Amino acid sequence: MSGAALLGEARNPIIRWEWVYEEWDQIREALLEHLELTMLAMALGLVVSTILAAIALRFRWTMTPITATTSLIYTLPSVAMFALLAPVFGNLSRVTAVLPLAAYTLLILVTNIVAGFQSVPQSVRDAADGMGLSPARRVWSVELPLAMPFIMTGIRIATVSTVGLVTVAAIIGQGGLGRLIFNGLRRAFWTPMTVGALLSIILALMLDALILWIGLLLSPWQRRKKAAA
Amino acid sequence: MQHSFPDPESQINASRAAIRLSGVTKEFRGSAEAAVADLSLDIEEGSIVALLGPSGCGKTTTLRMINRLIEPTSGTIEINGTNVADIPAQELRRGIGYVIQQVGLFPHRSIASNIGTVPKMLGWNKKRIAERVEELTSLVGLDHDLLSRYPDELSGGQQQRVGVARALAADPPVLLMDEPFGAVDPIVRARLQDQLLELQSEVRKTIVLVTHDVDEALRVADQIALLNVGGVLEQLAAPDDLMRTPANDFVRTFVGEDRWLRRLHLNLVSSLPHHTGPILPIAATFGEAREVLAAEGVSWLGITEDDVFLGWVQASALDAVEAAGGSLADLERQLPAAQVEPTSTLRSAMELIMVSNTSAAVINEGGKFGGVVTLEGIRRGLAGDTS
Amino acid sequence: MPDSARPLPGQVAVPRDIGFVDWFFDVGTWTDKGGILDSLWETVLLCSIVTIVAVIVSVPIAAALAHFGKAEVSTTWLVSISRAVPTFAIAALLVPWSLRRGWGFEPWPIFIALLLLALVPIYLNTYTAISQVPDGTVDAARALGHSETSILTKVEFALGASVVLSGIRVAAIQVVATEPIRAFLGGDGLGRYVRDGFGQNNDTLVIGGMILIGGLAALTGLIFVLLERIVLPPGVRRLARQQGDRTR
Repeated sequence: MSGAALLGEARNPIIRWEWVYEEWDQIREALLEHLELTMLAMALGLVVSTILAAIALRFRWTMTPITATTSLIYTLPSVAMFALLAPVFGNLSRVTAVLPLAAYTLLILVTNIVAGFQSVPQSVRDAADGMGLSPARRVWSVELPLAMPFIMTGIRIATVSTVGLVTVAAIIGQGGLGRLIFNGLRRAFWTPMTVGALLSIILALMLDALILWIGLLLSPWQRRKKAAA
Repeated sequence: MQHSFPDPESQINASRAAIRLSGVTKEFRGSAEAAVADLSLDIEEGSIVALLGPSGCGKTTTLRMINRLIEPTSGTIEINGTNVADIPAQELRRGIGYVIQQVGLFPHRSIASNIGTVPKMLGWNKKRIAERVEELTSLVGLDHDLLSRYPDELSGGQQQRVGVARALAADPPVLLMDEPFGAVDPIVRARLQDQLLELQSEVRKTIVLVTHDVDEALRVADQIALLNVGGVLEQLAAPDDLMRTPANDFVRTFVGEDRWLRRLHLNLVSSLPHHTGPILPIAATFGEAREVLAAEGVSWLGITEDDVFLGWVQASALDAVEAAGGSLADLERQLPAAQVEPTSTLRSAMELIMVSNTSAAVINEGGKFGGVVTLEGIRRGLAGDTS
Repeated sequence: MPDSARPLPGQVAVPRDIGFVDWFFDVGTWTDKGGILDSLWETVLLCSIVTIVAVIVSVPIAAALAHFGKAEVSTTWLVSISRAVPTFAIAALLVPWSLRRGWGFEPWPIFIALLLLALVPIYLNTYTAISQVPDGTVDAARALGHSETSILTKVEFALGASVVLSGIRVAAIQVVATEPIRAFLGGDGLGRYVRDGFGQNNDTLVIGGMILIGGLAALTGLIFVLLERIVLPPGVRRLARQQGDRTR
């Protein structure tokens, strides 16, 4: 990447539509892979954080160590995380990409799940017990719906930031749209890079809106309150 | 109304229930003193009993032991002779209405769905639940338009009414209320208290009500159990008896130095010994009039005709009218400024007497003359002095 | 994808048969021209500038909005939009723009992308800090004759200092943690060890780079903990502990 060559290549147009048309299969594949990595990471993250949140809510003293650990993970540089796992699971393994991505979701998801259940007023719990709801029924039909707005907010934030982080997974040969970005950068051919970057931003915004909408569907009483306010 | 308890064998499967606490003690772990110590209490069916006392007296703990939200360390609690410990906790609770200060409505469910919570758990069909919800809404005086709303859209007073309706949904024989009106403002609280009494006259539940508010206890309870710190029962008595004959210094201090004044709220005009006062029918003679005036030691006289009160006359005017050859009917009459009903409290009678600047209020008993109330009569009435 | 096992010109060159310990603990590895200390300096310099600029931009705006107006709506909007901005994609999009102006790969694309990343937590925490100060306290200060400026600086900032500082801490750590992508955008910095380790299939470099990046992020957090000890009066720190979890 010497200076003179770069200057020449800098005159590449930002986007060349013929390429988009010709390489449509590659773009679609990258987009699907991006979505797949995001969903795998979110699914794994949700399972783990539900367990962690349940532990933290059940045994209050575990709250501090769980928060401290997930916070620490959250501050680990993503490049370092991928680098850490690459020698273990192999450079090109999907596990190497999904594990760190899932790990990054933990702080946001655990915090929100715990906050959601803690937001259930003690009086509501007390009333539920007093009316003879079994503990399982109380959690499922009273506490969970009430915690849902918090949980959905957590899922939304975690999903959107995962979409952004997936691009970085391209440094280990994964990363869906991130691979397009890398290819473009490496060859100073801007079209794939622009396509990859724009699509990842659009994907993030669309998932954000989608999850927001699902969250509102799941908590109609909140929607009414907002409309009244 | 046999649906309160799913178990038909259960002895508390009835529309009425008496509660008996025998030697109930609760010690919390890590606390040196018992929260409730050896408490025995009989609660009559169909009555409202207030558990009254300062914070730390174990009144809420006692209440929560009745529906087993807290298990006693020792002692037994029976409802209609059945030990509550023998009934599965959740089944027991579905048969006991429970109302708390913060109401605890489910924010994600509509008002109708909140009220129908227990019937739904008991497996009632939709139609029956809907009918019951409608019925309860009227009973507690809620607007039917509110049924489709969410709890956050209601005022505090409305929410509390929904809480009561929800507790009554499966028509349980027992209602437990923990500071039910503590979170609403005084005006709404007074209205809700009145409504509770109105409701109780219809449903006749056995109600145990926890409060730290002496006035609330005096106002709504049939019996007051006054508890001291550590769950010691200091006195169990009807409100007026608690005021009139406090068992000890604690009771005296707790109900306050103004307990005589409080009794004015509690006792009704009808509770006073019947006293007609210086009253004469319009056909009476001047001689009879002078006799009555002397006997009562007053300077005025009431005149009635066919048991209807006509007004007051001044004693000083008697001589002149008699000299002119008139009768009692010719005396200038003042209309009564102070009129009370037999159902008025002594306090309002006293207030009327003060405001109207007279010495007595006339009791209006369905349009007829029912006697007079004087300050002296009130004093004697409260002192139990019937002479 | 590692298409070549040989170092290119400008890449870190370490023979593959040299073990991690021998490489990492060799004085030359650190002090040579283009060694670890140089890379560290590049990273620290960029991160510091980004954080400082973010503070200069965010704090006054957030403080003014929180003190005078109601920016609740725009604040909520900002939170959600900021999560959707992938730093890597933003930086990549800026590369052609920067090259076309003859500014090269560095430092503008990565600088702007990191700045966008850092602005948000600082803005949000400052906004929260100022609006969390109870109205009664502000009224009391006004009644005592403080001017609006002096209320903002002496009362609201003093009380909210720990929240503002924790916003700056979060921003700084995120910047340090994200900066290594610079190495994949035509720049250098500490990320180059991971990049070149991948490029040359050399685990020594990958692990070394990871330790350096992780260590710097941890160190950044530590520096802010110390800074809070020094800057905040004990009363405010106690207050912060009480409010602690709310501002996370």
